[in-house]
Amino acid sequence: MDIRLLKKYCDILGPSGMEDEVREAIIADIKDSGCEYSVDPAGNLLVFKKGRKRRDKTVLFAAHMDEVGFMVKHIDEDGYLWFGSVGGVDRRVVSGRRVAFCRSGVTGVIASKAIHMQTNEERGKCEPITDMNIDIGAANREEALQSVNVGDCAVFAPDFEPFGEGLVRSKALDDRFGCAVLVDMINGDPEYDTHFAFNTCEEVGCVGASQTVFNTRPDVAVIIESTTAGDVLGTPKTQCACEVGGGAVISFMDGATLYNKKAVAYAVETAEKNGIKWQYKNVIAGGNEARSYQRGAAGAKVIAVSAPARYIHTASDVLHTGDIDAVERLAFALNERSFENV
Amino acid sequence: MDKLYEIIEKLTSVPGVSGFEHAAFAAVREFLASTEIFDEIYTTPVSSICALMRCGKKNAPLVMCDAHLDTVGFLVTEICEGGFLRVAPVGGIAPKILQASVVNIYGKRTITGVFGSKPPHLQAPGEAEKKTEISDLFIDTGTSVERLKEIIRVGTPVGFRGKTEKLLGTRVVGTYLDDRLCAAATIRALMMLDKKQLGCDVAFSFSAREETGNAAATVAFGLEPDMAIVSDVTNAFVPGAHKSREGVKVGNGVDICYSPMTSRRLTDLAVKTAKENGVKYQLSASPGRTGTNTEGISSARGAIPSVLFSIPLKNMHTASEICDLKDVYETARLISLFIKETEAR
Repeated sequence: MDIRLLKKYCDILGPSGMEDEVREAIIADIKDSGCEYSVDPAGNLLVFKKGRKRRDKTVLFAAHMDEVGFMVKHIDEDGYLWFGSVGGVDRRVVSGRRVAFCRSGVTGVIASKAIHMQTNEERGKCEPITDMNIDIGAANREEALQSVNVGDCAVFAPDFEPFGEGLVRSKALDDRFGCAVLVDMINGDPEYDTHFAFNTCEEVGCVGASQTVFNTRPDVAVIIESTTAGDVLGTPKTQCACEVGGGAVISFMDGATLYNKKAVAYAVETAEKNGIKWQYKNVIAGGNEARSYQRGAAGAKVIAVSAPARYIHTASDVLHTGDIDAVERLAFALNERSFENV
Repeated sequence: MDKLYEIIEKLTSVPGVSGFEHAAFAAVREFLASTEIFDEIYTTPVSSICALMRCGKKNAPLVMCDAHLDTVGFLVTEICEGGFLRVAPVGGIAPKILQASVVNIYGKRTITGVFGSKPPHLQAPGEAEKKTEISDLFIDTGTSVERLKEIIRVGTPVGFRGKTEKLLGTRVVGTYLDDRLCAAATIRALMMLDKKQLGCDVAFSFSAREETGNAAATVAFGLEPDMAIVSDVTNAFVPGAHKSREGVKVGNGVDICYSPMTSRRLTDLAVKTAKENGVKYQLSASPGRTGTNTEGISSARGAIPSVLFSIPLKNMHTASEICDLKDVYETARLISLFIKETEAR
């Protein structure tokens, strides 16, 4: 994958419900590929790319466009913004971070009580997100209102960069990397007719996918996602779920989905045949849009091919470019196949 | 104020974790020289930088203007399997601001690190509400231990990363505003003076090791000044702060501080100078030893009469400290006016 494409998508501000700019960027990148595309009323981008052959099954590759963020709930007299999180964000990765507001581009800082002002009892503890505020430098409510209003959204400030040995660090790698994989597939030359979905509102409960499954009625849905890698200091191997640098992650079960056995085997076989580095997710936790495809409409068979990600849903998601390439190669390899007997 | 912002941008781009101030020497000395207002620039044995501005008159008294050069940060205490680091804090840092933050690791070359966070599936219910110590946290370098050991060692300093940028109006966010803001204000103040017209010499002391223990006293001992103007940042009022801090707000001007460490006569005179010249100021009271270099300087060489001017700052000791440029500018004006007013008499 071209790292510049990844950076471009990651740097776009697009929390759940405000994916417009992500979608526009994707459309700009695929519109000359000969694909057909449409945007449904909820903002999901559905794409059909004609291949050289047709297969009996409708196969859909899916990723989500949205990222976690913050929504302003109240602006006080002193110009501080009080907010809630959009999607699941750990309170301990929020305080002190810079954020950027969608549309206006205004910069803010998420603040909580300074160490000098904490009581001994409070020190070392992190207050809930509802007790934090965003400071945009406004002197008062009036000045704040000139740039921001209740309902406006911010995300972690973009600062994509290569990191360590072969890694990348950025906000929103979950799941802009998946979007980039799909864009590469659409711009490729698929063997079979293929459907693609770039969904909205995954982070608030896989809402976009539950709409897309009705509109596309896939027989097989392949979810390209990132998944938590617990391979950090102090975690026993059995609890890692997956490892950064360990290759594409194939899930047999997570917190939301029990994957179809045949489909999982098909993915594993495809990886093996093509010499693609892969690993199982070995902890039953988390979840992704597979649950919506498996349970929506008449139900699809689901496969999740994920990139292992450390510090997911923070300003510093960390992914390995080797894993991203493995996911992309596996996605391409899967799409070379008919999915017969899956 | 544009000039001031330029100076702040310049000074905050230079690292200087307490004890490792020499990392800032070259850039700071070069910058000070480029202002063309100083007659002599030197470094002291405890890593402070001193810049002298001479009026050219014989036996002229000396005013020392102090701001501290060092910043809070961390030291690497252990290099662990998988390319992770354990660190100890240098200065007071709240653990709650660290997870998923980006840091610079100042090894043989500067590399990026990320403070790790625990994956949700490994957390016990209610864990987020519990206390965290910095010793529980780790920094991810994404680099193999073998490679890492070529770049860093135990003891390597680590600093926050966060660019200096403008917020709404005249507010600015940045890393290391504590205390590079005050250095910027002092340099800007000295630029406002015509040294030939002064009846005193001025020494700008950009002192080391404030965050870890007041080394500015050694600079004062060496300089033997007749008086000192110390400037540092102060915690501004923010939501949830104690009632007693309501009087110190970002945007309300330079904070003139009364304390047992400062000269009441000179502080009164500073207030009068501010009033007469329309400098926007606010008063604060620090009934102890101020937690600034004033403590060390005011007791150096017996005693040196000192004043303390502070710039209100939000989110102190984080990568996103916030100030108002207008407050910095008013601080510069007051320092400059006060030097002219007293000429160390």
